[in-house]
Parts: sequence; structure tokens; C-alpha cells
Amino acid sequence: MIDKAKILIIDDEEGLRLGTKRLLELEDYFVDAAENGSEGIKLGTTNEYDLAFIDLKMPDYDGIEVLKKIKEARPNTVCYIATAYASYDTAVEATRIGAYGYIPKPFTPDELLYSVEKGMLQRNLLLESERLKLEREKNLLELASEKSRLKTILNSIAGGVLVVNRLGKIVYFNNAALKLADSDKFETGKPLPENFPEELKEIASEYLNADIFISGAKSLEIEIKPNQELVIQGIVSHVPEGENSFAGVVIVLRNITEAKKIEHIKNQFVSMVAHELKAPVSAVIGFLQLSMDENVKLPEEKKLEFMQRSTTRLKSLLDLVNDLLDISRMEINTKQKIIEPIDLKEILNSTLELFSLDIKNKNIVVEKRIDQNLSLINMDKSEISRVFTNLISNAVKYNHDNGKIVINISNKNNFIEILIKDSGIGLREEEREKIFTEFFRAKNKFTKSISGTGLGLSIVKRIVDSYNGKIRFESEYEKGTTFIIQFPIND
Amino acid sequence: MALIAVIDDDPDIIEASSLVLKSKGYHVVTATNPDDGYKIIQEKKPDLIILDVMMDEPDDGFFLAQKLRREKIKTPILMYTSVSKTIGMEFGAGEMVPVDDFVEKPISPDELLSKVHFLLNKE
Repeated sequence: MIDKAKILIIDDEEGLRLGTKRLLELEDYFVDAAENGSEGIKLGTTNEYDLAFIDLKMPDYDGIEVLKKIKEARPNTVCYIATAYASYDTAVEATRIGAYGYIPKPFTPDELLYSVEKGMLQRNLLLESERLKLEREKNLLELASEKSRLKTILNSIAGGVLVVNRLGKIVYFNNAALKLADSDKFETGKPLPENFPEELKEIASEYLNADIFISGAKSLEIEIKPNQELVIQGIVSHVPEGENSFAGVVIVLRNITEAKKIEHIKNQFVSMVAHELKAPVSAVIGFLQLSMDENVKLPEEKKLEFMQRSTTRLKSLLDLVNDLLDISRMEINTKQKIIEPIDLKEILNSTLELFSLDIKNKNIVVEKRIDQNLSLINMDKSEISRVFTNLISNAVKYNHDNGKIVINISNKNNFIEILIKDSGIGLREEEREKIFTEFFRAKNKFTKSISGTGLGLSIVKRIVDSYNGKIRFESEYEKGTTFIIQFPIND
Repeated sequence: MALIAVIDDDPDIIEASSLVLKSKGYHVVTATNPDDGYKIIQEKKPDLIILDVMMDEPDDGFFLAQKLRREKIKTPILMYTSVSKTIGMEFGAGEMVPVDDFVEKPISPDELLSKVHFLLNKE
């Protein structure tokens, strides 16, 4: 025995009460005694006793009443009713309320000890079942919260989950599944709705009709709403059961609309690049085949002209490849920037030097206005040179003969502003929004004979962006274009 | 001898193609954009049109081909393409694009001449 058993005696007869107490204490029990019903109730409800002996007839309370109170508060206390005159009715009533048994008065010590022993067995049974009950309740509670947790998780994920049993009836679906399949309401116990994507239904039934468990999943892409407005990927797999069998099919739905859009943009870019790369190659091959053709028999000076034109095309192809490589390096950030204090005046002058011949040939006037105390700016020299080269090259290329280029570089509060204004052909309204787009080149009577990769401004914008700068432009068709760039000065 | 219109935005391709065609005695008219192309077709009534896809023109080669067919101009069209495979344009001639044949750049003189010969003598 770990603890001494605790016993409560409630009896108004002092002799019997004390005698019983002494007898039980001799047997090494812990005993409390109450001399009336109210004291008995008080002791019996505030303390957890193993056993209680309750006298049926007491002046203040009826024993049944006391029993009731104790049982209510302490259902595991094993109670005996002690009485000399037990009626059938009181016996039934006492048992109904939870008395374990009767002990007839007067009782012998043996009778009492036997009742205590029997009562203690009952007490242990009660405690054990109480323990099991608590454990079971705890498990149920855990199970219930686990279930609701899973439900919450499944409902909060962006992917759709839909489970169908072997009979093809829906057994589970989450909110996202409803949204992504864009079909009629799913109902558990019902088959997949009429307008559920047919292709997915087919794969699902293929899995449902399988003889044994299939370990792999099958997926397909479905355009749910036209014009790629909603594209989903459906992934179908078996829900395993036992060794080689399956309980049903789980369908996972993913929204891949954004990914498809990016893929589309990528494909477009690739085909545009291919187009741009192929054009000069086709022209050069055309010239070469023509020069070699027995039937055509080109005169020598024509062949020479074609060689010169081929060289020009190949040079511009090389420019294009270099520009593409630059863009790719910028995209994947592999270009190592060497940041150093840069004097923009120096960069401008060396860039203008590059174009001095073109400027002279077109008889263009260049006006420079540079702040006297222009701040140095921390940048990569090759990148800022590239910005100037591309913009000034455009200002020269797309300028009219005898035109003008104005270049201002000035300090403004905490940034440096570069303005490059030309008196060239300008941009039409519909061309303006596209000018930073790769391969966009304005097409009109002026630009026909001007070569370019269509990547120059796109590269400029990428560089400016990488320094947290801003670039904007103003343009008027046939009048000219002005680019304004602002770079923040960071110390 | 037949008159052939060559419409392509690449002047080098126009020149090379023209020389090949002229070497066989064909007469050639040329244009470097779809608008001018439409004009020369209206004016010169060529026997065959060689038309580049011209993807980067606002009204591209497809558009011009459709416009011609809508206007019941039945002149055979040989379409130049450069990236038909990459943009998944492997549909047959005459279906989505009302042209008689496709030829992918670069084009060898022999291939060009045999396609031209075939289209001119189809009727």
C-alpha cells in the first residue's frame, strides 16, 4: 500500500463512532469521524476519502442526503450506508445514488474489516476506470484537435486538394480546390461535378480503374479560364492502402498562371533574339551564295560591295551578341562592379571623343553645360561610360544633319542630373512607351538606314536602375528627344 | 517573263533575292514594308509575291497576306520566315495564314528558284 487508506465515519452515536475509528486505526487506516450529517458532508466533500461509512439515521440530516452530497462532490469515494433497519425502498434509493453497500448495525469487527477490504477493491477499480476515462478523453481531445488542425492547414494552403474514394465519390476537398477548378460546388459523397475539367477526370478514372497501387503521379496543365487568365496544374496520385492497394485518388491543383505568363514572356524573348540573330546571318549567306552562284555571275565590284555589306552585317551581329551578353550578365548579376569615385565630366569628354567623327560628318553642334563644382559619384566606370555611349550614340544617330545636342550635368540637392537633348527625329506617341523594351526600334522614313541592336536603351535603363537612379524622357516627333537621368549621390 | 514582288524589311535580303530572280530573267519589284508592298501589288499586279513575315512591323506579313486574300487577290504568296520553329508556327500554309508556301531563311538560290518555278506553274 502506498498511502494509508482514508476512511470517514459519520455517526451520531458516539460509542459506535469512536469504537469504529479506534478499530480501523489499529489496522493502520487513517480515519476521520463526524458526529452529525452536516459535519460529515463538510468533511466528505472537501476531502477525498477512499471510503465513507454513513449512518442512515441522524438528527440533522438523513444519511441518504449525506450520501448524495458526498457522491456528487467525490464520485470515487466508496460509500457504505450503516443502518439497523434498511427498508427495500431506502436500499434501492441508496444504491441509485451511488452507495456501494449496506452494513447492518450492529456490526462485528470482522464484518467491518471485510467491508473495508471489499470497499477498497471497489475504490481501486473506480480510480482505475477514472484514470482510463481521463486518458481516453485526452486522446479523443488530441485526436479532435489534430483533425481540426489538419483541416485548418488544408484549407489555408493555396493549392487545391481533392480526395476521391474508390467508388469515384468525393470524400474531401479544401476551399482552394473549389476556386481553382472553377466548377460547380463539390459535395462529399457525390461524384466529381459535371463541369470538372474533363482531362483531369480521365486521369482520375484511369487511376481508379487500376488493379494495384501506382506509385507515381500524373500531372497536366489545364487552361481553366480562356486567354491564360487561369491556368492550373492538376496532379493525380493514388492514396495508398495496405501493401499493394489504394483507397482512392488524391488530386492536387496548383495555380500556375503566373509561371505560364513568365514562360510566355521568355519564349517571346527567345524568338525575338533568334529572329534578330538570324536576320544578319541570312543576309550574309544570301550574299555569299550569290557571289558563288554560277548562273548569276556577279561582276567583281558587286562581289566586293557584297563583302563590305556582309562585314557590316556581321559587325552589327557582333554588337548584338555583346549587348545580349551584357544584359544576361546584368540579369544574373555576375558582372563585377568596380565602384570608384567618378568624374562625369571626364567620362562625357571621352565619350564625345568616340563620336567626334560622326559629329563632324553630320555637322552637329554640341553644347555642354557642366557644374563647376560637380560632385564625384561612386560608380563602375565601364557602366557609366556605357550609359553615356548609348545615349550620345542615339543623339548622334537619330539627329538630322546640322543638328544640335545639348548636354547638362548638374548637382541637385542629393543627386546628380544628366540631361541629353537632341534635335533629332523624335518619337511618335505610340513608340514612347516601348523605348526601353528589348529590340524595340522606332520605324519610320528616317530610321530605315540607321543600324542598331534595339538593346541600347534597355541596357541604359538596367544600369540606371542598378544605382537606384531614375531615367525619363521627353520627345516630340520630328523635333527631338531629351533624356534626363538622376543618380543619387551616396557618400 | 513573270513579274515577282519581293517584300522584306531587310534591304540586303531584297537585293540578294532580286539578283537571283533576275538571273533567271524574272522581273522584280520590291518594297521594304507592308504598306509599300500593298501599293506595288495594287499597281504592278505581280504574278507571284514573296513576302517576309516581318514580325516587328505593326502590320506584319501575316496581316498583309490576310488583307490580300480578303480582297480576293489570289496571287500566289511565298512566305519568308526566320523563326517559324521557335514560335511554334508549324501550321500548314493555307490554314491560319493564307499563303501558298513557306520557306525558312536563309534561302539558297536553288531552293528559291525551284519554289518560284513551282508556284508560277501550279495553275
